[in-house]
Amino acid sequence: MSATYNDVQLDALRELANIGAGNASTSLSGMLGRAVDLTVPDARVVPMTQAVEEIGAPETEITGIALGVSGDMPSIVLMLLSPSDAAVVCTLLGLEPDSEYAESALGEIGNVVGTSYLNALAGMTGLALEPSPPATATDMLGSLVETVLASRAAVSDDALLLDSSMIVEGEGCSIVFLLSPDHGGAGELLTRLGVS
Amino acid sequence: MSDTLVRMGELAASKTAGDMLVTLGLGSCIGLVLLDRRMGVAGLAHVVLPESGGHTEVNQFKFADHAVPELIKRVCALGARRPMLEAVMVGGASMFAAIGGSMEVGARNEAAVKAQLAAARIRVHASATGGSRGRTVRVGPKTGIVLVREAGGKDAQLFPPTVNKLPTRTLQEVA
Repeated sequence: MSATYNDVQLDALRELANIGAGNASTSLSGMLGRAVDLTVPDARVVPMTQAVEEIGAPETEITGIALGVSGDMPSIVLMLLSPSDAAVVCTLLGLEPDSEYAESALGEIGNVVGTSYLNALAGMTGLALEPSPPATATDMLGSLVETVLASRAAVSDDALLLDSSMIVEGEGCSIVFLLSPDHGGAGELLTRLGVS
Repeated sequence: MSDTLVRMGELAASKTAGDMLVTLGLGSCIGLVLLDRRMGVAGLAHVVLPESGGHTEVNQFKFADHAVPELIKRVCALGARRPMLEAVMVGGASMFAAIGGSMEVGARNEAAVKAQLAAARIRVHASATGGSRGRTVRVGPKTGIVLVREAGGKDAQLFPPTVNKLPTRTLQEVA
């Protein structure tokens, strides 16, 4: 069941990612009180072995916020930001970056941003998507990304990555946003868009 | 003298002096090292999931039930003696504990690799597994030294056990 996608399908997924990320950046902007820019989103199918390097150097220290998604499209949403950008986000929220609340504040940011991304997808496709509470970890990029990919590895050697970056204006701070659906799930997404 | 990167679902073996088998940033996956130190042979497998469960159309070596026998075969093909094999396990962490469910893969991976090793009568001589931290593992075939590093940390020798490890720890505890 190793799925490949044609250009039309990848374009459709890109468009979905664009709308999802647009919605997500609006909520992030509302929470932080700053304008948030978006990079053009990308949809890529990469061999599982290369997926980590596609995202970044495996040993880079990074903060990840993960949301599990159940429902019609089981997947994992992973938001990645550098520890210094995580500190900037905390400061914008009026928190000391080292305080005990920092981790839960980041989790909450992930929750709101991830949920608005998913709401946009659900609204467009009619899929029922239920996010689970966020989990936050700061560790090696490879460790976080491979753990997310591992849960999808049983049925495919490829990883479908929908990613986009949100950039907080005036702070030089960016959040990379990744949605990793399993292949059956992305198939469902494409069916709903009429390009399966 | 080169680093061989062993990525998700890959495995590698070597007996070349100066070689280093490396897996960067293990999370829930297991880095399994097999060594015949006398013969200077080492192998490293990057195990992603416990069992193939009938998924035959994908790379089988990402699953513990296929990766462990294959790694044994590869190191023995390079001259390792099967009864002399020593195993070292790294990884199997729970990176996002709160998500639960699908994220418990780490513990299941560790159990599956251990069961495969037990079935092959290979003893695990050292391990750095579980917990919630990512790890990088390096092994040199000629030296037989296994190094492990956590995020932001330094390489620490996991195997063979270092002689001065115990006294150092005792001194810290006294202080």
